[in-house]
Amino acid sequence: MRGASTGIVYGGLKYQARCIADVKADTDHTSFLAGTLSLKEENEVHLIRLSPPGSELVCEGLFYHPNEIWDLKSCPFNPRIFSTVYTSGETYGASVWQIPELNSQSNAPQLEHLISLNEHSFKIKCVLWWPSGKHDKLISIDEGNLFLWSIDTSNKMAKVISQESVGMLHNLSGGAWDPHDRNAVAGICDSSLEFWDLRTMKKTSSIEQAHARDVDYNPKKQHLLVTAEDVSGIRLWDLRRPKCPVKELPGHAHWTWAVRHNPEYDELILSAGTDSTVNLWLAHPPGANDSMSESPVDSPKRPKDSLLNSYTDYEDSVYGLAWSTREPSVFASLSYDGRVGNLFNNLMMILS
Amino acid sequence: MDEKAKRTRELLASFYSTDHSAGGGAGVGSAASPRKMASPDSINSPSFDPDVYMSLLVQKLNLEGLLQKHVEMAAEIKNLDTDLQMLVYENYNKFINATDTIKRMKNNIVGMEANMEQLLAKITSVQSKSDLVNTSLFEKREHIEKLHRTRNLLRKVQFIYDLPTRLAKCIKAEAYADAVRFFIGSKPIFEAYGDSSFQDCKRASEEAIDLVIKNLEAKIYSDSEPIEARAEAVVLLKQLNFPVDSLKTKLLEKLEDYLMTLQDEHKETGASALDTLETSEPSDIGKLSDTILSLKTPTGTHMVSVGEISKIIRAYLIIFPDSERRLIELIQELFTKRYGIIERRVKERMTSADILKMIRVIWEDVTLMDEVLAEAALPAFSLEAARSIIRQFISTSFSHLLLEVSEALTKSQPMPKKGSEESSLQNALEGSKKVVIQGSLDLLLEFRQLLDDNLELLAKLRDLIVDWVQEGFQGFFQKLDERFLALCGKGYIANPDSSVIDAIQVDKVQTGLVLVLAQLSVFIEQIAIPRIMEEIAASFSGGGARGYEHGPAFVPGEICRIFRSAGERFLLLYINMKTQKISILLKKRFTTPNWIKHKEPREVHMFVDLLLQELEAVGIEVRQILPQGLVRRHRHSDSTGSTNSSRSNATREDKLTRTNTQRVRSQFLESHLAKLFEQKMEIFTKVQYTQESVISTIIKFCLKSLQEFVRLQTFNRSGFQQIQLDIEFLKNPLKEFVDDDAAIDFLLKEVIGAAHERCLDPIPLEAPILDKLISTKISKSREESQSSSLA
Repeated sequence: MRGASTGIVYGGLKYQARCIADVKADTDHTSFLAGTLSLKEENEVHLIRLSPPGSELVCEGLFYHPNEIWDLKSCPFNPRIFSTVYTSGETYGASVWQIPELNSQSNAPQLEHLISLNEHSFKIKCVLWWPSGKHDKLISIDEGNLFLWSIDTSNKMAKVISQESVGMLHNLSGGAWDPHDRNAVAGICDSSLEFWDLRTMKKTSSIEQAHARDVDYNPKKQHLLVTAEDVSGIRLWDLRRPKCPVKELPGHAHWTWAVRHNPEYDELILSAGTDSTVNLWLAHPPGANDSMSESPVDSPKRPKDSLLNSYTDYEDSVYGLAWSTREPSVFASLSYDGRVGNLFNNLMMILS
Repeated sequence: MDEKAKRTRELLASFYSTDHSAGGGAGVGSAASPRKMASPDSINSPSFDPDVYMSLLVQKLNLEGLLQKHVEMAAEIKNLDTDLQMLVYENYNKFINATDTIKRMKNNIVGMEANMEQLLAKITSVQSKSDLVNTSLFEKREHIEKLHRTRNLLRKVQFIYDLPTRLAKCIKAEAYADAVRFFIGSKPIFEAYGDSSFQDCKRASEEAIDLVIKNLEAKIYSDSEPIEARAEAVVLLKQLNFPVDSLKTKLLEKLEDYLMTLQDEHKETGASALDTLETSEPSDIGKLSDTILSLKTPTGTHMVSVGEISKIIRAYLIIFPDSERRLIELIQELFTKRYGIIERRVKERMTSADILKMIRVIWEDVTLMDEVLAEAALPAFSLEAARSIIRQFISTSFSHLLLEVSEALTKSQPMPKKGSEESSLQNALEGSKKVVIQGSLDLLLEFRQLLDDNLELLAKLRDLIVDWVQEGFQGFFQKLDERFLALCGKGYIANPDSSVIDAIQVDKVQTGLVLVLAQLSVFIEQIAIPRIMEEIAASFSGGGARGYEHGPAFVPGEICRIFRSAGERFLLLYINMKTQKISILLKKRFTTPNWIKHKEPREVHMFVDLLLQELEAVGIEVRQILPQGLVRRHRHSDSTGSTNSSRSNATREDKLTRTNTQRVRSQFLESHLAKLFEQKMEIFTKVQYTQESVISTIIKFCLKSLQEFVRLQTFNRSGFQQIQLDIEFLKNPLKEFVDDDAAIDFLLKEVIGAAHERCLDPIPLEAPILDKLISTKISKSREESQSSSLA
């Protein structure tokens, strides 16, 4: 590990864990939510906060969760609301929860169960909030279907607006909601990325030949997204030209599991892999230097895409990855053994 | 004496002009003279005052001094007086002489006037007499002149009447020059009186001249006549206002026709040579050399013909001095066409010997022609042509080599038979290696021939050739790299335009080929490039036509770097392709069944066989291509290894079963602690170009993938036991592939650990059942292999 990155490890998670989410709506603190994945024990959701000097990770709240958590997303407009996808043996479910008022007396207060998204007939994969602010819709994805919900957290109501079945041949495993267009959503299928228009619930386009594990829209530029793939590593796409990737980054030694754009500096891409590393990449999106790519002669002048840093201080595969929206130079990573690492680095130095 | 002395002194001074200021100054009264200020004792100054002088003398000197001064002065005065006297005498003498001369002249002139008058009178009388004679002779003279004119005219008439016969005589004697001269002489007369008095005469002589023209024409056309005679004939014809230009064009056309037939001949022979080249088997060297000879055979006749052409051209140059440009055009066209033929043929594969032969033949002709027609700048022209030909030759040679390499790589790919597949990859590798090194060296040899040839033409191109060869190699290897990328379907990043086609091809790319490319890249980097570099340094150093600031065209370091990275990329690509294939297998295995409702394990699942098959295939490919690693560790013997490992594992699992659910959590922490103290297993090490490294990397990747797939599922007891059984079975076969037991053990343990974690009720199979199931599987697979081998 290099000096540029000082990692803070949070050792509070006692079990394996896959999911970590940035509490985007919390504007006062840099906080993350992490959920554990234990088959036999009582699972927990931890609200982890970066103490103001940025030197320590503090557990602000520890809540018991009835089942093992496979997906956890924080509500982008209410810091106390989040969604989980869970399984227990053969059963599965997705719920929206509210964190109770924090008071120091009770160590493990109960989460307030707001809504159950219980229309699913297949194994639920993930729940999506519209990432760019307040929106009363929610998307849940199971292996065969895409549901659009209208939710009302105050009345604890949820109603399916529309549903789209992707058919037997496809097998949805995840997705992402376009932050630039609340009617566009991307779903990860077996060997392709499919895009839907939520108004008509029809497929609009697709990227073939993409065995994606994870997908993330560029938060600053529309039509651009990045995928993490088992073998091909990280690939950047332009939806207007879905035939071939705009850019390829080598990714990880083993599978690349998760990939995230920095919320502020979209050329910074963070990836987590099953080779127990987290890599930070600098990849210039193609729009910015189109003129340069036309003249390959002066390629030395062109900023090179490169691996800025590789964080290798993990014991196990890293599945969880989240940038802090509040402090773009902070990200949280979660390795399977339950260690949350918050890693700073001098992003400003790199960007300047 | 005052006044008088002063005057004489002035006179003297003015006469001899010894002292201007003295004379001038005295005359003007010496107002601004500096001598006024001079000491009063200087006797020669113009402001000399005798009284002051006297008083000064009296004051200064004593009596004796005064006396002495007096004597001195008296002597001076006497001297001056004698001088003056002499001067006066001299002047006087001169004056007397002058007077005498004047007097004599006066006497002489007085006598002359009378003589002059006499002369005038005589001249006038002579003039009057001559006028008299003139007038008396005038008539007679005019008459004589008239007679003379008539006589001349008569003579001319006589000449013209004689002209036909004279011309006939000239024709007989072949003195055409005289004939033409006579005819031209009488031409004005014919023109003036041809229609009237000299009609017959004119006709006759014109007939004669027509004959002359005809004869002259014949003379020009006949090649046997000496050139001078033909040139003379042309000149004569020109004098006769004969349309020589048309004659010239006719002649040139004839020459052109001649050249055309010559070219056709060339073309034919060239084409026939090509035909024979095409039809003849490449192995049939004898035939090949025959064709080369047959290329040569027309040169026998052709040498003669070029010699003739040069002779003709020389003649034409003399005959028609103004036809040079046209001739130059003709000749240049001829040579352009001939070089064009070579250029066309260079596009086919040729040896440099052929090229040299052809260029040499042409060059000989060129020198021959150059002697005749230096203005055509044929050497420069040929230099230009040879330059482009050789450049073309070098570039086509390289592109042929490129084609050969990719052919060698792809040729042995589609092998339907199982037996031949074993060695096909090796063949491809060896073949392409050979092509790369041998082809490059052969090319260098060929190019050396170009360099070593002592042809003047090529010597000038030496530096350029060196540069071209170096550039050629640079470009060749760069293109080779691109070709490699395209071959394994990765080319679409370089050219996004053809991405659609390439992207489809990715699936079709044979993994073995990727491995071959990886090894070939290493070979090129480590052996071929240094070898070629040596060769180039030995015989292609120098160059420098590019200028030093660019450095040499061939940069082996860069090429090495390209191929080193290409090799690594191909190796990784190979591993990726293989692991992807296995990954799909594993994915299917883990996503299809419902693991929570899994039934009790009855036998080892068949995916294990598929996995081992894949690995076997990898092993076959890898063994053909890659070298063995240096370190070979001790290998476990089958039986003991199996029981030992399974038992030891079983004891561990026993321990696990004994732990009750309350203790699972502490178990988790325990395993964490154990992991912390265990040396972190380096799974993802750098891949090396050895069989072991590649296979073990693939296996490690697969096991890691297996672990990840397991982690995504939830198992019941039977599902866990199935995984346990499969993994246990895999242990030994995998160790057959890899010597790194520790890593395999570690990863297998990780898989079982993951399954244990993801199991609702993790109770492992008991060891005897495990052993039994495994042994049945082993015996079954053995039977199968036997039956398949029998079949």
